[in-house]
Amino acid sequence: MSQPSDIMERPGPVPVVRPTLRARLTRRLGPTGAAYVFLFPWLAGFLVLTAGPALYSLYLSFTSYDLISSPSWIGLDNYMRIATDDPKFEASVKVTLTFVLLSVPLKLAFALAVALLLNRGLRGLTVYRAIFYLPSLLGTSVAIAVLWRQLFAGDGLINNLLAKFGIQGPSWISDPDTALYTLVILAIWQFGSPMIIFLAGLRQIPTDMYEAASIDGASKSRQFWRITLPLLTPVVFFNAVVQTIEAFKAFTSAFIISGGTGGPINSTLFYTLYLYQEAFGYFRMGYASALAWILLVIIAFFTAFSFLTARYWVHYDD
Amino acid sequence: MDFKLDRRGLLLGGSALAAATAAGLRPAFAQDGRIRLLWWGSQPRADRTFEVISLFEGSHDGATVDGETVGWSDYWTRLATQVAGRNAPDVIQMDYRYIFEYARRGALAELEEFRDSTMPLEGFNDRTLEGGSADGHLYGVSLGANSAADICNMDAFEAAGIELPATFTYDDLREFGPDLAGAADIPYATADESGYETAFENWLRQRGKALYTDEGQLGFSQEDAQDWYELWAGLREDGICVPPDIQALDQRQVETNMLTLGHAAMAVAHTNQLVAYQSLNPATLEMRPLPLISPDATGGHYRKPSMFFSVAKGSENKELATTFINYFVTNPEAAKVLDVERGVPESPEMREVIEPMLDEAGQAAIAFIEDLGELAGPLPPPPPKGTGEIQTLMIRLGQEVGFGQRSISEGAEQLVSEASSILERA
Repeated sequence: MSQPSDIMERPGPVPVVRPTLRARLTRRLGPTGAAYVFLFPWLAGFLVLTAGPALYSLYLSFTSYDLISSPSWIGLDNYMRIATDDPKFEASVKVTLTFVLLSVPLKLAFALAVALLLNRGLRGLTVYRAIFYLPSLLGTSVAIAVLWRQLFAGDGLINNLLAKFGIQGPSWISDPDTALYTLVILAIWQFGSPMIIFLAGLRQIPTDMYEAASIDGASKSRQFWRITLPLLTPVVFFNAVVQTIEAFKAFTSAFIISGGTGGPINSTLFYTLYLYQEAFGYFRMGYASALAWILLVIIAFFTAFSFLTARYWVHYDD
Repeated sequence: MDFKLDRRGLLLGGSALAAATAAGLRPAFAQDGRIRLLWWGSQPRADRTFEVISLFEGSHDGATVDGETVGWSDYWTRLATQVAGRNAPDVIQMDYRYIFEYARRGALAELEEFRDSTMPLEGFNDRTLEGGSADGHLYGVSLGANSAADICNMDAFEAAGIELPATFTYDDLREFGPDLAGAADIPYATADESGYETAFENWLRQRGKALYTDEGQLGFSQEDAQDWYELWAGLREDGICVPPDIQALDQRQVETNMLTLGHAAMAVAHTNQLVAYQSLNPATLEMRPLPLISPDATGGHYRKPSMFFSVAKGSENKELATTFINYFVTNPEAAKVLDVERGVPESPEMREVIEPMLDEAGQAAIAFIEDLGELAGPLPPPPPKGTGEIQTLMIRLGQEVGFGQRSISEGAEQLVSEASSILERA
């Protein structure tokens, strides 16, 4: 290590090779030290903006805290109440699970179907791709939720269309039997990002496999089930995990469409919405923090479950 | 290059500072500075409020008021977040339901000390101030007097050929309701108010009950709740009030009310809101007292502060905040802009200024409150903590009974038991 520093300190006829920033940092701090310097901006953000508040909320979950006066320690009371005496917790878990179990598979199926269509070497593919991706950019916005409300209201566009066929639809958005499904449709409509990933996955599948299969006389659907789908399973797996986590965290659409109430009759009371109500509507930040940590455990459980089962159905190329 | 501060430099700097001060860079006085104001309401209210803000800024050199507004349903979460983040607005619009909740949690400044200086509130009487006081302290200044009222679409009544009397009972409504439904293309006679706390309270008070007692307990029984749900179930059955899936579209805003959406010819609201309703409805609107339980029932209504301005406890410029409030509730120029959109002003001087210039909706609001007479009773005690949650509970249970997910007696039982446990927990 002494050689290079000699060069640095001796100006003059010897041509100076300025080492790169990384090389200089590595020399001074050692390889790990340099890594930390480059990590610092992200690490600082993570510690201050994510880990810090998260740990604080863990502390709050053991307190009674009304946002205004200071928190007071109550031990496990919040968790006890959630476990034994909270019908709204049960209702919100039920609504959220229904939403996740319906919206994720349907959304993935839809995304895959569109990706397969787009993978046929269409002309103007980039345009179609952009158009199909658009809802994903718009879907989480407030404006779309408002639009959805208009579409599915009693005298909205959907019912006007149905009326042309002589069907008198209910007010989808404000009927407790149907309100959640309008949100599921809204979620499916935002199939853009899994579609893009599927499309990339489809491009990775070697075409000679299909050629060989058609020479052997395999039909298109057989090719799909025997070649496309197995080779795509890593991508399916990735999309499923990401979309499941997203679905658990869904909030905006239900908040806007139900006006923050989760109504009618708690039919759109997503877990996140209930948590939000407790924290900011009813001044129970401690209780809401406990709910948030339980959500973390639920999501972790589902993710772990996906990873554990993955080896039975995800096909890696090795 | 080094920089040394010697005596001459210091003197020079000092005189420069003095000159700058003389040239107008004065140190902050009470009326200087910047305050934030947060309120809920519709667009017409926002326009009026911003206009008064610029009037105030024009007559108070160096004062800036940053206004911020959201709808009712988002307001309380927004406010709670800001208060928790130690970022509360200086001046906060407050509702009777929440003011004591905030005051008792220590979020609001005590305002009585400012009455000798920046906020004399000229012409306000003690009864008016009582509405914003708790435990011997003044926490909010009333922005106007108000009362619940049934807002009626007169075009529908005319089309149906029904003469709307000055007062009517629930039995009358039951009688003329079927004729009114469908008139002027409005399919139902009235909104479904079974989940609306204000309508329930009015009905309870006519029965000699209340939402809450002085001690902060529930002021009604399961039988009361049962009768109430039965009353509305009857109206629903007869097609007089809107069905539950339509009613659920209402997010308790003027813009989403059944009357504004054209689903019902009558809806319960507050007198100050007539101005906003009228601006959104082409039909002629009039106000009536809420239906009576019998022709000679009394005391359902009360004259209440429509809303308050409070000051955050953590405000760094309470002087300017109270100066602004005082201007807002007593200045005649402000009165001309504000009209009775936030209720009938408490300041006699303001009332005098606006009375001649009011439009029909505005005059009706004043007349309605003054003519209540026996129909109005005393102000109920400050509501206990947890009332915000009970309000949401009422909406949900009203829907559960309306959609038939719960029987009437189950709904009544649930209302009493859940509301009691909310009060206990708060």
